Amino acid sequence: MILAKNLTKRFGDRTVVDHINFDIPQGQVVGFLGPNGAGKTTTMRLLTAYLPADEGQAELAGLNVFNQPLAVRRRLGYLPEDNPLWEDLELTEALHFAGRLRGLTDDASRAARVRAVVKSCGLRREIGTKVGELSKGFRQRLGLAAAIIHDPEILILDEPTSGLDPNQVLEVRDLIYELRTHKTVLISTHILPEVTATCDRVIIINAGKIVADGTPADLAGDMADKNRLHVELKGPKDDIRRALAGLPGASQIVADEIEGSFIVESAAGADLREGVFRLAAHNDWPILSLRQERLSLEEIFRALTQNP
Amino acid sequence: MECQISNPSPRGVFQAHAVKALAARTLRSYFESPTATVTLFVFYLLTGYLFAAPLFLVKIASLRGLIDFVPLLLAFLVPALTMGLLAEELKSGTFETLATLPLEDWDIVLGKYLGFAALHLVCIAGLIFYVLVLALCASPAGLDWGEMLGTLLGLALTGLAFGAIGIFTSSLGKNQVVAFVMAFLVCFVLFILGKTAGLLPGGLGSVVEYIGLDAHMDNLAKGVLDSRDLVYFASLVFTFLYLTVQRLQARRF
Repeated sequence: MILAKNLTKRFGDRTVVDHINFDIPQGQVVGFLGPNGAGKTTTMRLLTAYLPADEGQAELAGLNVFNQPLAVRRRLGYLPEDNPLWEDLELTEALHFAGRLRGLTDDASRAARVRAVVKSCGLRREIGTKVGELSKGFRQRLGLAAAIIHDPEILILDEPTSGLDPNQVLEVRDLIYELRTHKTVLISTHILPEVTATCDRVIIINAGKIVADGTPADLAGDMADKNRLHVELKGPKDDIRRALAGLPGASQIVADEIEGSFIVESAAGADLREGVFRLAAHNDWPILSLRQERLSLEEIFRALTQNP
Repeated sequence: MECQISNPSPRGVFQAHAVKALAARTLRSYFESPTATVTLFVFYLLTGYLFAAPLFLVKIASLRGLIDFVPLLLAFLVPALTMGLLAEELKSGTFETLATLPLEDWDIVLGKYLGFAALHLVCIAGLIFYVLVLALCASPAGLDWGEMLGTLLGLALTGLAFGAIGIFTSSLGKNQVVAFVMAFLVCFVLFILGKTAGLLPGGLGSVVEYIGLDAHMDNLAKGVLDSRDLVYFASLVFTFLYLTVQRLQARRF
């Protein structure tokens, strides 16, 4: 549905997007992460045919972005960075204007679409308000409503929750979550819990190159160089330590921060939880806690995007 | 819910629905701000004086008094109307929204330009009131209708040409004041060139005369409808609208 093949963009002698490749199938919600200046916005501008590429190809809904930009844009809803809006228009006027520009020329069907997006984006109580007087949260909702006024198959949202307070972030996140059932969505953001909550897949870009692509769980697995299992059993500590060290696959036993509990290290990809359960049952040591350590998305992001 | 989108125009053909929507919004925004009110007030105040002074002081029933001064007035007022057309969109970021809609740059430029053109033509249409006053004050048989209609047509075309210059300078950057000053300068040069043509030697004088406004305005004000004059104004409009589109496309690289 969204395909980038060796997509490259240079500004002067600086390569901002460097031969990136990804393929997003229909119905997938993808978080596009990267530090400031990594090339997220430029990639999105390439995908919307706002900027021409220096190399490579991009396809949306099977259409070549650079050869058929108008056909691509008809299938696309785009929320640019900073959500620029026409401040002097009243909320429904802004949506009608967006609809007219999108080719919704029939008054009745356009009015029906405006009513639908006002409802789905929770804008009803702001009807009658000028865009310039809306709070930041409602401005983001209006930007999203304008982006989906023509019911596009694909949504590209550049920092849709930037600058919002935590409550507003949750509101916009819920809205995006509702849209995911019908659309292919590419979202760029800095707010990592938002990605974990809403996205099926994460693409991380750094210095114009894609450095990771997968589900958050896959990325955590790929990134971990060893497996760490936190174990707290009720019983004689020395015996427990010896027994854990004897588990097949266990490479090292380390005392955890919690008194009397241990961290069992093993090779990446190994899962010792079942073995610990059998060991505890065999020795009649009740399991007080058992937790597989996973890298958080924040840790993955930092590891992949911290420049040396 | 099914969403009905009008049949898209083939590539290279204007998206009429979008051009109309942009033109209507541009015209409306003039009237929702003090822009249109102030412009119309200044325009009719000064043209009213230029019309009434010869009529009541010298008893000349003609629009001739408008020809010499109104192009200079338009060189000032038109850039004031056009300076924000694209500069404001570029500054606020809404240009990116427009440019990622299923529109060609020509649709955006034409929509904006037609919105301006509608206000300008409303301005010029108001001058018909002066024609009616003349018709009431003087014997209709004694009036030179060709001269009067030619004068109105000349002023309309001058404003349209200045508008194209203004939208081009508005596309050059985010600063409206710079757009205004640059447009005023270009319009002023066109205004002044015709007056200096007589001071220049033969061939050069002819070229400068053709580029300047005066010769073309004079023809129209005499009631002479010459295709060369119409081509002159049409060329100015097309050239500057074309340059505007080129400028918008160049911004994307």
